[in-house]
Amino acid sequence: MTNRRTAGAAASRRDVLRIAAVGTLGSLVGAPSAGAAPKPLTFLHDSSFIRDFDAYFKKELGPRYEKETGTRIDYELTSVGTLQTRVSAVLETGSGADVVLNGFNWPFLYDQKYVDVSDIAEEVGKAQGGWYDVAKEAVVVNGKWKAIPFGNIGQLMNYRIDWFHEVGFDKFPETWDELLEAGIKLKAKGHPFGFELGHGFGDNHGWVYPLMWSYGAHEVDPDGKTVVVDSDEMARCVDFARNFFQKTTLEDCLGWNDASNNKAYLSQQISCTNNAESILWVAKRDFPEIGKVTGQALNPKGPTGKRFHILNPWSHSVFTGASDIEAARKFLRWLNQPEQLAGWFASADSYYAPFLHAYDNAKFWTVEPRNLPFRDSMESSHLPGWPAPVSRPQAEVIAKYVIIDMFAKACSGGATKDVIKTAQAQVKQIYGQA
Amino acid sequence: MTALPSDSAIALELRRVPRPRFRVKEGTAFGWLMVLPPVLFLLAFVGYPFIYGIWLSLEDRAVARPAVFVGLANFITDAHDPIFWQVVRNTFIYTIVATALKAAGGLGLALVMNQHFRFKNLVRALVLLPFIVPTVLSTIAWMWILDPAFSVINWVLVHLGVTPPGPSWLGNPYLAMGSVILVNVWRGLPFYAITLLAGLQTIPGDLYDAATIDGTDSWQRFRYVTLPLLQPVLLIVTLFSLIFTFADFQLVYVLTRGGPANATHLFATYSFDIAMTAGQLGHGASVALAMLPPLALLIVALTLYMRRQ
Repeated sequence: MTNRRTAGAAASRRDVLRIAAVGTLGSLVGAPSAGAAPKPLTFLHDSSFIRDFDAYFKKELGPRYEKETGTRIDYELTSVGTLQTRVSAVLETGSGADVVLNGFNWPFLYDQKYVDVSDIAEEVGKAQGGWYDVAKEAVVVNGKWKAIPFGNIGQLMNYRIDWFHEVGFDKFPETWDELLEAGIKLKAKGHPFGFELGHGFGDNHGWVYPLMWSYGAHEVDPDGKTVVVDSDEMARCVDFARNFFQKTTLEDCLGWNDASNNKAYLSQQISCTNNAESILWVAKRDFPEIGKVTGQALNPKGPTGKRFHILNPWSHSVFTGASDIEAARKFLRWLNQPEQLAGWFASADSYYAPFLHAYDNAKFWTVEPRNLPFRDSMESSHLPGWPAPVSRPQAEVIAKYVIIDMFAKACSGGATKDVIKTAQAQVKQIYGQA
Repeated sequence: MTALPSDSAIALELRRVPRPRFRVKEGTAFGWLMVLPPVLFLLAFVGYPFIYGIWLSLEDRAVARPAVFVGLANFITDAHDPIFWQVVRNTFIYTIVATALKAAGGLGLALVMNQHFRFKNLVRALVLLPFIVPTVLSTIAWMWILDPAFSVINWVLVHLGVTPPGPSWLGNPYLAMGSVILVNVWRGLPFYAITLLAGLQTIPGDLYDAATIDGTDSWQRFRYVTLPLLQPVLLIVTLFSLIFTFADFQLVYVLTRGGPANATHLFATYSFDIAMTAGQLGHGASVALAMLPPLALLIVALTLYMRRQ
């Protein structure tokens, strides 16, 4: 008995050791065990202004994907404005997330660490009416799609229909000169405009670049080399901006961030600003009386006879450092099928204007017809820095607020010649031509 | 024939033998063992990032791209960048004005709190509040205080008929700098006040008694007793404050992000914009590192001055 027990115990210890050794070795070499659940994927996203949008993914899309494939999606949200820092950390460490949301020009800045998803983009485009041309401006780097475009958070004119009506404007002015005329009358009645000129994320670029383009001005030519800040068109535009600011706008706009104009509009301080759909969204929810008299319109036309808008695109990429690139690509392909996309877009009404033509007449555009200009603005939208191609120096010009500050200095009294000369020198220095 | 020593004599002899050196070494080793964790901690979390920062500043290094060693090229670029020189001016003005105000205000507050009055302990606890509240939260509260429409300051000014439209605290370049300094002083004052209060309480009462007997008035007691004895504490607090203020980030980033037109950009906020928004880590690191020489000079100069005093 004793011997058998001892032998049995010895065999048991050996078994335990053998199993432990095999298990350790297996985990070390990464051999998948039979029937093991697929690794979860981390989907890094900015918190949406629209709560239902994030809730839809967490409650609907994430669980649906797990049910269909067994892969859990960890939808990791960052607070507004901090995603780029988080993305930089993931890129530098090579771990932390698999699929990521991009803003503005990120697919260009980080293209070497993003997987080529051209095949998915072409397949999705073909199946859903084709892509808007501007979608490619945001994600196609050296002929390769480094992200799948999602939607544009347009920046248009938000204005008080009733107050504009009081000064004789039954519809929103067609040109910047007409808007100036309306603004002078409105300011005289105690309803100034509020256009951001501080160091915010988007509401400053949202009107300054379109104004500049509508005057035929830009900072660098399409060759990506010739700096043309110092031009007659720019001088005329800066002169107009100073006049416009001083006669129609609150001085405080020089120090505003992106939340300031929403707050000022909703507290009835200002009669017009440039913003996303968020003002109307909040007004309808929290200030219904203001919501009823709020209109949204395309940016005015400039002396060139053209109107422009800022491209503020969201897109999704797969990191080259993803734990399982194929699994991440599979998820991205699944996410961009109409069964998923339609519901996700609808959860935010039309806050994210789709880059796919299949949604041009989708039902969510009828929920709030005042949002239709956001769809119509897509064809005339461009990234800040356009018409020059996206590049590192261009990103630096934007990060240093060179153009925004040129206008801000002019609006606070700086001479046109001086502010343009300073900006020209700064852009040249950034492009290595000083 | 020599007699063999007895066991007790051997024992005595052994006791007289000097302690072997290894015991001393053992003690040293133990000491080193105890010091090792903090040393490793400092190397990992202070030394490594610092050295890495220096290395980055010598590279053309964009996020997600391979690095190219460029020597001092980033610093040369900074030297030709007008915004960089504006940032230098801003940082010096911000640091010097805010530190001076905090030192003067903190000393005054400490002297008041060192007196005997009712609810003394409660007041001392309340004074610490700005220092305890997370900076980002308190700065958001200041955003409301400085907002032209909702500002309590503007409300008072307008209702007193002083300034009908109310000043644009964050829109005007000069007022914006004044505002960020004000918020920094508000946040940093408790640090000065409480530390100087602790210093005041270590000054023996006999010295004041002796000075009083010698016929000194209260100003002379402050000038010739309090101030000299408080000097070491004042030096340490000022050094800390200089470092923290010079490298400030959160407050400016939340309030103005360096605007309007770079009027409030500091080294840290400018460096962040270049490194994160533009994705140029090397260039951003060079801006951040440019803080080092002036900061080191400030510290050395202040230390020498205080020592001479």
